[in-house]
Amino acid sequence: MKTILMMLLIVVSNAAGDVFISSGMKQIGEVSTLNPRALLRIALRVLTCRDFILGIGCLSVSFFSFLVVLAWADMSFVVPATALVYVVSILGARVFLKEHVSALRWAGTLLVCLGVALICRD
Amino acid sequence: MKTLTVIFLFVLAEVIGNTCLSGGMKQVASAGFADGTLSLGLILHALATPLIWVGILLLLAYFALFAAALSWADLSFVLPASAFKYILNVAFAGWFLGEPISTGRWAGTVLICVGVLLVVKTAGEKSGAGEPEITGSVGEGGRS
Repeated sequence: MKTILMMLLIVVSNAAGDVFISSGMKQIGEVSTLNPRALLRIALRVLTCRDFILGIGCLSVSFFSFLVVLAWADMSFVVPATALVYVVSILGARVFLKEHVSALRWAGTLLVCLGVALICRD
Repeated sequence: MKTLTVIFLFVLAEVIGNTCLSGGMKQVASAGFADGTLSLGLILHALATPLIWVGILLLLAYFALFAAALSWADLSFVLPASAFKYILNVAFAGWFLGEPISTGRWAGTVLICVGVLLVVKTAGEKSGAGEPEITGSVGEGGRS
């Protein structure tokens, strides 16, 4: 039960973090230089971007929950189970955003659920 | 090509990083934290384990590469193209951590990979967290 709750925490904070980071990096623009001074300037811009910082916060929560779960469960269970992030984001899109979800997407979601059920049994 | 190379590199960094973290946490667990207790001591003990820091550094490298890739490629391409990472993670857990991987666990992992590919491949249909458009040939990386 505790493992399931922690997996949910990992998954939800990870999904939120990905969205924030993606949105933040889109604001920063393409990183196409290897010049150290230019990279430093980009790094400063990144570290003052609100969405990016929110993303880092979410991913930190996700990371520490992940670390804790690894102390009591196998990596070959924990890592594949984090794929539940896709199920959570689709359910979120369907329930909260009332988005249309295609049959193919439901099929993919079902496969992820079946896969997680399989790795849970072993 | 640039995108696929970066995806391969960040997947490798993530998988090796996860393996280090898991190896480190197994050490922590064997030091008396294996019973599922959630305490500050567990985190502090973890942060005093060198292998955890190697894992954290690798995950930071993963994160930097992932963020860089997202600056020019869409999340809806990067995510499916890196779907093969689940298989690699399980393989590394078996090879380097000696975790017994049953046929059921392998089958589950493959199902998850295919499911993730299907879910993110259809991201153009206005659902999910990623950007609505898909650039490049989705799934190319998933078979590597």
